[in-house]
Amino acid sequence: MKNKTENLAEENAPIGKGKKFLNRVKRFFLTPANVILIIYLVILVFMIFYPLFTLIISTFQVSSITETLFGVKYGELTGLWWYRMFASDMSGTYFWTPLLNSLLMSLLASVIAILYGGIVAFFITRTNMKGKKIISAIFVFPYIMPSWTLATFWQNFWQNPSIGTGTGGMLYNLTGLSVPSSWVYGLVPCAIVLGLHYAPFAYILIGGILRNMDANLEEAATILKASRAKIIYRITLPIVLPALVSTFLLVFASSMSSYAVPKYIGGDMTVLTTYMKNFLNNGYYGQGYIMALVMIVLGVAILAANQYITGKRKSFTTVSGKSGQVSYINLHKANYVVATILTILSLFCAVLPLITFALESCCVIPGDYSTLTLEYWISREQVGTGNGLVGILFEKQVWQAFGNSILLAFLCAVIAGSSGVLIGYAVARKRASRVARTVDSLAFLPYLMPSMALGAAFLTMAFTFGLAKSFIVLVLVGSLKYLPFASRSGINAMLQLSGEIEEAAIIVGVPWWKRMLRVIFPIQKSTFISGYLLPFTSCMRELSLFVLLSAGSTTLLATLLDNWSQWWPQSANALNLLIIVTVLVINFAVNKLTGASIDKGVGG
Amino acid sequence: MRKLLSVLLAAAFVFSAAGALSACDKQGTSDIQDKVEAAASMTEEELIAEAAKETGNFVAYGNSSRIVDAMDGFVKKYGSQLKLSSSNTSASKQSDTEIFTLLDTEAKSSNKSKNASMVLIQDSASLNLYRTSTDLFCNYIPSSLGDNISEADMVPLAQQYINKLFIWNNVGDDVPTFSNVWELTDPSYDNKIFFKSPNSEQVNMNFLIMLTSDEWSGKLEDAYLALNNNTAASDVGEGKTYKNYGYKWITEFIANCNFTINSDTTMAQNLSKEDNAGNMGLFVLSKLRDDSVLTENLQVAAWNEGSDGKYVKIEPFAGFMYALYAQLATYGPRPYTAMLFINYLMTEEGFGPWKSLGGYSSNSSIPVTEGDSTLSFWRENLVFEDGQYIISVKTEVEDYINGLL
Repeated sequence: MKNKTENLAEENAPIGKGKKFLNRVKRFFLTPANVILIIYLVILVFMIFYPLFTLIISTFQVSSITETLFGVKYGELTGLWWYRMFASDMSGTYFWTPLLNSLLMSLLASVIAILYGGIVAFFITRTNMKGKKIISAIFVFPYIMPSWTLATFWQNFWQNPSIGTGTGGMLYNLTGLSVPSSWVYGLVPCAIVLGLHYAPFAYILIGGILRNMDANLEEAATILKASRAKIIYRITLPIVLPALVSTFLLVFASSMSSYAVPKYIGGDMTVLTTYMKNFLNNGYYGQGYIMALVMIVLGVAILAANQYITGKRKSFTTVSGKSGQVSYINLHKANYVVATILTILSLFCAVLPLITFALESCCVIPGDYSTLTLEYWISREQVGTGNGLVGILFEKQVWQAFGNSILLAFLCAVIAGSSGVLIGYAVARKRASRVARTVDSLAFLPYLMPSMALGAAFLTMAFTFGLAKSFIVLVLVGSLKYLPFASRSGINAMLQLSGEIEEAAIIVGVPWWKRMLRVIFPIQKSTFISGYLLPFTSCMRELSLFVLLSAGSTTLLATLLDNWSQWWPQSANALNLLIIVTVLVINFAVNKLTGASIDKGVGG
Repeated sequence: MRKLLSVLLAAAFVFSAAGALSACDKQGTSDIQDKVEAAASMTEEELIAEAAKETGNFVAYGNSSRIVDAMDGFVKKYGSQLKLSSSNTSASKQSDTEIFTLLDTEAKSSNKSKNASMVLIQDSASLNLYRTSTDLFCNYIPSSLGDNISEADMVPLAQQYINKLFIWNNVGDDVPTFSNVWELTDPSYDNKIFFKSPNSEQVNMNFLIMLTSDEWSGKLEDAYLALNNNTAASDVGEGKTYKNYGYKWITEFIANCNFTINSDTTMAQNLSKEDNAGNMGLFVLSKLRDDSVLTENLQVAAWNEGSDGKYVKIEPFAGFMYALYAQLATYGPRPYTAMLFINYLMTEEGFGPWKSLGGYSSNSSIPVTEGDSTLSFWRENLVFEDGQYIISVKTEVEDYINGLL
């Protein structure tokens, strides 16, 4: 037995380096935020870099039996795919032309989105235009709907007998007017449709700044007798410039990864996404994966440029708090004209597509409204003589795909949403630490990766583990892709919350999980819920992300539509409408539940 | 942080290796070949008895949506004997590449109870390649077929044939009339021929590839000479613009094609409208059975109008034909059930879902739809796929065609 003096001596003895380190580790892991950060660091590094790693490896590998036709052995490493894409006679056809088309299409789409979205935002926030609420509500519709909606509508509306499908579209049938082929198929219509689809995005970003802009700046200019044009050019535009740049880059990146729009109305034009899909469909994986890799590199470069540019303008003050009074520009007689034009344009992009889908889903002979029937919706017998389907409301495939889509959206929402809350908590609590900053950046990284390219990366990983076309891969890729939404809302919610609230709970000995469930979550409930619901709605209408990964028993509504549109146009139109209505209903329910709406920040 | 990332990436490498190893860990070689041989001498009752002993789901994939209806019919007929119902059977439409991917994945999975046991493949070339390079497929010839199937259709077993024909709108005064495919390369047909892009439809690509073969380029040469008073083309031959007449026809035909429509159904629907007077398409004949197609506005190439057997012969072809091949999936849990299903598909009842205009069973005892011509007639008038030839030149000709699109 040791005596008292010995014990004291032992206690006061210097602690060894190893023990010190162990104590530090122990202390580190006693903090829940640290545990969360380490767990997510490991998960995110694996989930992001492992698929990327397998993707890169696969670009140097013979991954399919079909590729052995090039005289290489299955499974062996080769530089042939890189050679074919960048140095062979075919590189122009297979890579440079699609790349150039993708870049031009995205560039034009960004300009259109900014011009259209920015102008509408300006009229809504800075003028006394009539009908702001209704225009604002309808204007954001195309952004909520799947991207292919506008593309198919565009074709249905402008088509005429001398071009494309050789049949008359809505405009031709009503007025006899014909537009040139380049207005219906190819680069220009793709860019316009993407521009219209992403215009609400520009509207939200630019409108948010315009609404909060300090009116004193403009008032000062007015007092100094500056003209209206000069005020817009010298004051308004510079203030919204960061938002313009952000919108430009984000729309550019999103358009680059668009697959459905060029597929439907691209005509002879090839872009990276459609060619990548062709390569993968035909078993030429290596070349398809190179395209995916290039798209990821471009996406990261674009978003890095965005971070750099917006980061430089961090101190640009738009909200001074000194002026709540916004001086509206009086449109005088033009008021009703502008409101009417904008309403018609918004209705054209938002409501008319729904009407045409409804009508086309009921026509036995497409475009012939004297052959209307509901059999493509409600028939329990096989529809027509050539269609192996019953009405879509009774079609087994539809409900299986519907179930898959709902389950997938639910699981992705739960995983991404919960991860968002946990990451938000941990990052906000350990804001200064390097690990927190890394996890924050990693959680945002999937946003930079084009959907289809991320899908391709996960396909390579799925092949490695023998999981191709399995549901778990869809859940993993969906959760990762939508994590940025959830983690952003989680971090923002936690940053708004004072640490003292949790500290009070710690003092009274409330365990961590109880603090989360009983204190933190209830306070920031609505923000957290939007972190769950955004992935849910986005997942329901996603095609590009899942198109390479879903098949057979894992078919989703969007991929089923992608298949059906090739064989059964009427049933495909009905299915399209079903998807749009489902997304709109969910979106409406979200708005009612959380009180949040996409255009809320802009107002109307 | 850099150290930490290095450690994590190293872990990723380890995972990768583990994944690759697990993927290679197959559950031994299948004995499906023995079962196929055993089944050859079985009566239907014996085959049913063997199939009834099998466990696991009965799953079939096919590059035809009608496999779903065929499966329904099969379950109705044999469901009670085999304890099959909608809960443990499934059939779905998949593209050929998807089927290859699914079978490859399923072969590597540890639980094979839900694997596919049978497939219907469209692309003869890829099937040929997979049959020689992998053990994913096994051929089975129903003994009940006897002499009712041609030897050429036995390995791999062609369940049926489907044809794509030149079909044109016959409304108005501008009705196309042609008897030689070289006429379709005339600039007057510019943008008037609907054809699904060979990039997205493998059988269309296979058809074009076939035309570069000695046999078909020779026939195209004859047709060219016949149309041009025996004057040979100056741009065809070694060291000239085109290697042979096949390449020349492909190039000039593609220049006149309209690839806007990416669905044969939509093509048939749109082409049959009066708006499309003067236009034509090369698409699946069976699409004409759809209610939404105004067949009275369409004329089919080499169509035998009356009972006198007269028709306008198109030199040297009026379109092309490809097969749907039935194969057993080696790693499926129900090989005997799959064999019984193939037997069923080769009967008139099992062929029912496809039995209409443009659908031809390889079982010669099953008659074609009234008014349609027989398989042997189409053999004389259409380009048939030769998987072996396609494989031998596939990459080269595909590059050439992709350069034209």
